[in-house]
Amino acid sequence: MSVHTMLEAVNLSKRYEDGALAVDDVSFSVRPGEIFAMLGGNGAGKTTTINIFLNFLEPTAGEARINGIAAHRAPLEAKRHVAFVSENVMLYPTFTAVQNLDYFARLGGKTQYTADDYRRVLLRVGLQEEAHHKKLKGFSKGMRQKCGIAIAILKDAPAILLDEPTSGLDPKSGFEFMQLLGSLRDEGKAVLMSTHDIFRAKETADTIGIMRQGRLVMQRSRAGLAGEDLERLYMEHMAGVHE
Amino acid sequence: MLATIIVHELKNILFSPKFSVTVAVASVLLLLSVVAGIGQYRAAAAQYETTTQLVQQEMREARGWMALTNKVLRRPDPMQIFVSGVANDVGRLSGVNAFQAVKLSHSTFSDDPVYAVFRFIDLSFIVAVVFSLLAVLFTYDAVNGEKERGTLQLTFANAVPRAQYILGKFAGAWLGLVLPLLVPMLLSLLLLAVTAVPMTAEEWGRTVLLFGGAVLYVTVFVALGILLSTLTPRSSASFLYALVLWVCAVFIVPRAGTTLAGHLVPVPTVAETEARRDAFAKDRWAQYEAQMQSRWKERNAPLEGMTKEEREAYRDEKMWEWMEQDDQDRKQVQTDIDEQARRLTEELRNRRMEQERLAFTLSRLSPASSFQLAAMNLAGTDIALKTRYEDALNGYRTLFNEYKEKKAKESGNSGGFRIEVNSDTGVKIDAGRERGVLDLTGMPQFTHPSPSAAETMRSAFIDLGLLGLFSLAAFAGAFVRFLRYDVR
Amino acid sequence: MLVHIIEKELRDIVGSAKFAVNFSIGTALILLSFYTGAQNHRIAQEQHEAALAANVRQYEGVTDWMRVQSFRIFLPPQPVAALVNGVSNDIGRTVEVRGRGELRSQDSRYGDDPIFAMFRFLDLDFIVTVILTLFAVLFGYDAVNGEKERGTLRLTFANAVPRTVFITGKCAGTFLGLAVPLIIPFLLGALLLPVFGVPMSGPDWTALALVTGAGLLTMGAYLLLSVWVSARTERSSTSFLVLLSVWIMTVIVLPRLSAAGADLFVSVPSMDEVNSQKSRFMSQLWNEDRTKMNGFTPANKGDVQEVMKEFNRYMQTLADDREKRFNEFAGRLNEERANRQMEHRRLTQYLSCLSPAALFTLAASELAGTSLRLEEEYLAQAREYQKEYARFMKEKTGTNTGGFAMVFRMVTDDNAEKPKPINIAEVPAFRFVPPAAEAGLPPFTIFSGTIALYALLSFAGAYRAFRTYDVR
Repeated sequence: MSVHTMLEAVNLSKRYEDGALAVDDVSFSVRPGEIFAMLGGNGAGKTTTINIFLNFLEPTAGEARINGIAAHRAPLEAKRHVAFVSENVMLYPTFTAVQNLDYFARLGGKTQYTADDYRRVLLRVGLQEEAHHKKLKGFSKGMRQKCGIAIAILKDAPAILLDEPTSGLDPKSGFEFMQLLGSLRDEGKAVLMSTHDIFRAKETADTIGIMRQGRLVMQRSRAGLAGEDLERLYMEHMAGVHE
Repeated sequence: MLATIIVHELKNILFSPKFSVTVAVASVLLLLSVVAGIGQYRAAAAQYETTTQLVQQEMREARGWMALTNKVLRRPDPMQIFVSGVANDVGRLSGVNAFQAVKLSHSTFSDDPVYAVFRFIDLSFIVAVVFSLLAVLFTYDAVNGEKERGTLQLTFANAVPRAQYILGKFAGAWLGLVLPLLVPMLLSLLLLAVTAVPMTAEEWGRTVLLFGGAVLYVTVFVALGILLSTLTPRSSASFLYALVLWVCAVFIVPRAGTTLAGHLVPVPTVAETEARRDAFAKDRWAQYEAQMQSRWKERNAPLEGMTKEEREAYRDEKMWEWMEQDDQDRKQVQTDIDEQARRLTEELRNRRMEQERLAFTLSRLSPASSFQLAAMNLAGTDIALKTRYEDALNGYRTLFNEYKEKKAKESGNSGGFRIEVNSDTGVKIDAGRERGVLDLTGMPQFTHPSPSAAETMRSAFIDLGLLGLFSLAAFAGAFVRFLRYDVR
Repeated sequence: MLVHIIEKELRDIVGSAKFAVNFSIGTALILLSFYTGAQNHRIAQEQHEAALAANVRQYEGVTDWMRVQSFRIFLPPQPVAALVNGVSNDIGRTVEVRGRGELRSQDSRYGDDPIFAMFRFLDLDFIVTVILTLFAVLFGYDAVNGEKERGTLRLTFANAVPRTVFITGKCAGTFLGLAVPLIIPFLLGALLLPVFGVPMSGPDWTALALVTGAGLLTMGAYLLLSVWVSARTERSSTSFLVLLSVWIMTVIVLPRLSAAGADLFVSVPSMDEVNSQKSRFMSQLWNEDRTKMNGFTPANKGDVQEVMKEFNRYMQTLADDREKRFNEFAGRLNEERANRQMEHRRLTQYLSCLSPAALFTLAASELAGTSLRLEEEYLAQAREYQKEYARFMKEKTGTNTGGFAMVFRMVTDDNAEKPKPINIAEVPAFRFVPPAAEAGLPPFTIFSGTIALYALLSFAGAYRAFRTYDVR
């Protein structure tokens, strides 16, 4: 496995116009074949960090690099190398699952997919076949999320960003999703995800970061967590015990 | 419980910034239309005064009693401030004299078609178009929106009776919409009082009824909006339905109704009717001439064999009698022509009435038509305005012509041309008197017609009653529907 | 990329409920407007013919041209006017021609039948300005912020999609989805016109096509404006309310206030005032002439017929002189009023230019020949006709006194030959030549150019707003 980093935050800071410091000097890196899970409470800066990677926000200082390209300097170039799964995506309600997939695949530059490809990827994310050609209007939250993941898989980018991907999924779907993520890692994807789900993070992630008030207050590899109680650590960090 | 729901609903509406801004704009617009209406009324009233005086002046300077013609202007009505109706489409003035039938011409729009391009804005229009839109827009998600937000479930987790809930919803939304309607309306009443627009007690009464009609009209749309929100599971759907309903009710049904009636019951044009009338007149005059010719022969028959002096004496003796007789016949011709004109007009009117009845029946499918018809009736700017004035003018024409005849006889000067042809003395032409001023005291004055209170009430109440029925039916629908509504 | 976005936009629209509503209601209304337009044209044509026939019938049995004191001419209905009414229902259709004197049109459709004035007709102008613009707002109000609400904007821009491409595709796709389906009923309606017996000439077709084009352009302007507003607001409910207010103001309020607004700055002397002044001057002239008439002494006192002829000739010279003086006087008044009116009209137009919908009304009526020019043109042609009519009458009667002449008839014998009735068909026919479409083209171009400018500005606004739009 190559050692260069796919996703990299370098002294990343973001101060909003109202003066609030959402991300405060955060640095980390994710290599291909690695899952980096960001934990943290509401408003800790996880989503902001992901937004900077996607150039939805410009960093106040530092850089977010995708495959070595600073997202805010060459956003279009950077975005070619990344797929994104957002929290609670509604998608286009008047489109079928396959139509949604097709559109986003094309936007991602993949025009060669066949109907069979869409079928396979939807089955892979666990969407029953009878729903493939149904409009999204009637889909449940979990079904829509599966489509979102399928869209990310189809882009076949070396990096994947996920913003709270498991929120709203039932436990079984959540479990299946994490397995899927593992298999993507095994294919060599660099995965950065923000989550509230400590339990699943511990199971799947290779590296875990905890964010609090915009700072990355803890970053440990799975090996480094061996024997530690992640839940206790998280609570302590949230309470500011380690500061 | 009910009070809590109403207050909550009212707060929900009134404290929503979007609502307050939109409604404030509409209220200002309403007030603006009244201000503009008062300005227009004042200008029209001033113009009416000036022109009436000019007409009087012109009449005094007429060249003789027989040549006297009058012009009657429709007097601007303060009620036009609120409802212009067809007031700008119907002619503003008509000549009144012996030789022409009464005809209203010179409408505001035909005089200055620039106003016809976009027409005017008035209170009834703003209520009919803008307030109905606001009413459906702020109620289309009254029930299904609460369901989508999950607040419906939360509400009914408490011991809230459904009937009270829907009643409260309705009352709250209704108050929220009626208040911004009432405030500018009351202000406009104040404005009328301050600017001293001359309104009679009856007109104040009509205005109040008109405002009541406006409130009733808004009620219909509030109830319809709520009904829609109970009929559709999703607010995005009821939003679309509400817009479609509004477009159909406000714009399409009224227009389509009248157009359809126009196709089903065609009515001949005024030009055609007038041509028919003129044809009759020409025939009648030709007949009169033939009569005159034969009479001339009869009268001259005894002259055969008389000496010049005898002839002169005979003529002088008979002259007065002959003139009377000729005059009588001439008048008879005019009477016959008028009678025929009246018959033709009546025929036209009957046809038109049939068309109108159909048009009203069809367009009353929409509450917007009902409201506008009621408003026009109350303001006296309904389509009967034209016939009302024509009838009054015809009545006045008779009086005026009688007065003129009498005066002419008294003065002994016809004011017309007199051509005397005498085989002995040749031709003498007398073109009438020199300048002078006619004394018009005692001339009958035109009384401006206004619809009788009973008539107005009868026709207005049909439409107001319809509006009441509409709102009752819509609300009953919403009520029944909500009793079995799936609140999950 | 652009193609994908346009394609997706189209698909998204076609699958939506609002598309179904737009398409069905739009189609029904457009077809209805063509149908009612054709029916109205038929009825107007029948009425026109009936009026013509009745007008001719009234001269049946008339044996002396001196008896024809006046002749009525009528404004024939125009095919395109049935689709774009303009002021054609507000101006008088009948002119009574006497051979001299001022002409006035009377008997407007709405004045005759105020029932149609109450709600007016469902013409194409109404459909475009009220219904189609509302649809445009409905299609565009959530173009950008709606995608944000659905979360698809984030997902889209997680890809290498340039913002300019996205907003362009959005606008183009929505416009296509909105406009293209409506072309079908427009075409179908146009095909129905000949079927319903509306005689459309080549220029009529061109005018109709251009009006339709301008209608789609107006719709486009409202659509782009909506996209702009939706790119400037966070939530679609906000943009909808903003746009609805804009719609109410520009479609319903502003145009109607424009003429009243122009009143504030330009006051046009009222027609009544002008008419009163004219009629007073006229009666003054008459009074002067009466004295002259009293002084008329025939050269040959014996022959009555000769005396009458002489008298009528004398009357004519008086009338000529009177007319000259009156025309000078009236011309001044008319010109003054016409100038003020022109100024007032121009200001009204400037004020209504604030609204793209009003601009469409102006543009369409220019091409349909139902703008304010219609009345001017009609009266101008009627004046020309009056000259022709006067020449004709002079030929027939020897005088042109403007409908006023003395006739002296000698009755000699019962057995004398009955005078032959006149043939009224000899009176020159009035043929209204509708204002040439080319004449309407420059103002049409200006008005629709301004609409295009609005559209362009809105697009530029949307483009600019979207460049910095927060897609999160």
